Amino acid sequence: MSFFSQVVQYTLSGLTAGSIYAVIGICWSLVYLITKVLNFTTGEFVMLGGMLTWGFHSAGFGLLPSLLLAVACAILIAIILERVAIRPVRYPSEMTYMMITVAAASVIKGVVLLVWGSETRTIEPFFGTEVIHLFGATMTSQVLCVFGLLVIVTVGLSLFLNRTLFGKALRASSINLTGASLMGINISRFRLLCFGLAGSLAGITGIVITPITFTGYSIGMLTGLKGLVAAIVGGWTMTGTTAAALILGLLEGICAGFVSAGLKDVLALLVMILFLIVRTMKFASRLGRDAR
Amino acid sequence: MSGTWRTKFLWIILVGFIFAIPLVAGSYVISVMCFIAMFGGLAVGMGLLLEQAGIFSLAHPTWFGLGAYVSGGLAVRGIAPPWLGSIIGAVFVGLVSYVIGAPLLRLKGYYLACATFGLLIIVEISLAQLGSLTGGHEGLMGIPPFSVGNFVLETDRHYYYLSWALCLACLWFLYNLMGSRMGRAVKSFSDSEVAASSMGVNVPRLKLKVFILTAMMASLIGSVYTFYLRFTQPGIFGFPLLVELVTMVIIGGGKTLYGPLLGAFVVMWLRELIHMYLGGLLPRTSAEVDAIFFGLLIIVILIFMPGGLAGWIDRFVYGGRRVRGRPQS
Repeated sequence: MSFFSQVVQYTLSGLTAGSIYAVIGICWSLVYLITKVLNFTTGEFVMLGGMLTWGFHSAGFGLLPSLLLAVACAILIAIILERVAIRPVRYPSEMTYMMITVAAASVIKGVVLLVWGSETRTIEPFFGTEVIHLFGATMTSQVLCVFGLLVIVTVGLSLFLNRTLFGKALRASSINLTGASLMGINISRFRLLCFGLAGSLAGITGIVITPITFTGYSIGMLTGLKGLVAAIVGGWTMTGTTAAALILGLLEGICAGFVSAGLKDVLALLVMILFLIVRTMKFASRLGRDAR
Repeated sequence: MSGTWRTKFLWIILVGFIFAIPLVAGSYVISVMCFIAMFGGLAVGMGLLLEQAGIFSLAHPTWFGLGAYVSGGLAVRGIAPPWLGSIIGAVFVGLVSYVIGAPLLRLKGYYLACATFGLLIIVEISLAQLGSLTGGHEGLMGIPPFSVGNFVLETDRHYYYLSWALCLACLWFLYNLMGSRMGRAVKSFSDSEVAASSMGVNVPRLKLKVFILTAMMASLIGSVYTFYLRFTQPGIFGFPLLVELVTMVIIGGGKTLYGPLLGAFVVMWLRELIHMYLGGLLPRTSAEVDAIFFGLLIIVILIFMPGGLAGWIDRFVYGGRRVRGRPQS
């Protein structure tokens, strides 16, 4: 394989990973912007999507019905999570919310481990196993599904948020929660909607990536965290998150190809920590100058 | 501090109780109590950070693990005896936490939590990947037992006294610290940083001090832990331990210092009960399966009893006059 086709190959795998992180990052920001909950179960929903589809599929359902059932289950679990675990908190603080979602994530992970075991699972690709050749690099048709998912999610969400009254109300409540509820927007229903939407999107992502990356009970945390990195670096906006996720994916693909595959998981988290530090430094120096 | 005689009396009872347990109990109880001392000590530090100082740092298992790896690694290669290795480990962790804490502690709330959580995962992965230095996924094997000179700690009973001495020393030290001027300053900035700094508290510096102090304590406990287990693995210091520590802090109630220790006691015995009675029903037992129960417990406690056990006890003792356990919203 020539150097050029190697570069194309790593770029392709990087962009694939980036699109996955982009959708997951959008799930994080959907919940965070409306409810101010940093939902650490997002990654577990990615895992749940894949595992549930595998579970239904191996129980004898066809691919499409098991896919739909898995998404329905993900939505249901997300709604139950909001109603049972997050709504009843009496003294909501950032710490309480975070601990509850971290705890819920470990519960979901543990239950999946108990029910389906620790083996990695996979489902067959949606459109067969043909391989597409591009400048000497190869990719499967499933990769196109991942790109398609990102396009559908971003275009669909921006149409929903900008063109429908419901979406506009959602944006309004992300900007000012109190003001929005004074305008007659039912915040409590939106919280539920956001959790359900994020859960279903994460679940769909999990289903689409399962034929490529395989799934297992333990994939949730790291995948979810990389989405969080994208959301934080992108400033919780959809465009920013997508751009950050694609860049992050590219960095990871190149790091995995040319440096070390084992350390590519560290890269995303390092990027997040460095970004956060640099951001505070900028703020601190500006504040310091103002104070003087 | 009012009611000093009562505090002294409680301390004497606690120390006497701890001292007396190995005289009557079997080796099983002693080994569980050993772990309670270690994780309790860790949880006390983490509770101090999370609830009293308001520093939302999730990297506590990392300091524990780094201490364990440094002292264990030095002892395996024969570079430093265990007691010296533990001190070197604590100093090393102190330096690392200074270098990392200085920029990170400028962050607040969620961002600090995310950054420290990232740090936790980074260290866990790096420990597994740097095979030549740390033994990779299998971890360090063949760590010698703790020894000072010719005196070698071999039995569980020795480690029981060592770990409880360390745990109670940490607790006593933190009690005195939190009663001092510095401790009051720490409590003040957890309520409002602006108010505290307007009263002349150097908030960033104090935060860094508390952070480094608890990190070094965690590292010392980690050293004792690794000499007790005689091996270390990167998986021990990862996400499951974090969930466990958070459970201890929340069940016990982090607004008091003794709360997390109480939480450790409850959590560890609960785990033993789960393993004993549900071990046959569950197809497998691992840290992740335990995490189901702990996760559910965290959710239930945070919803129904936000002050934890210590908050409940406080309300009982002070008759509702001074409810300390309740977190401010």
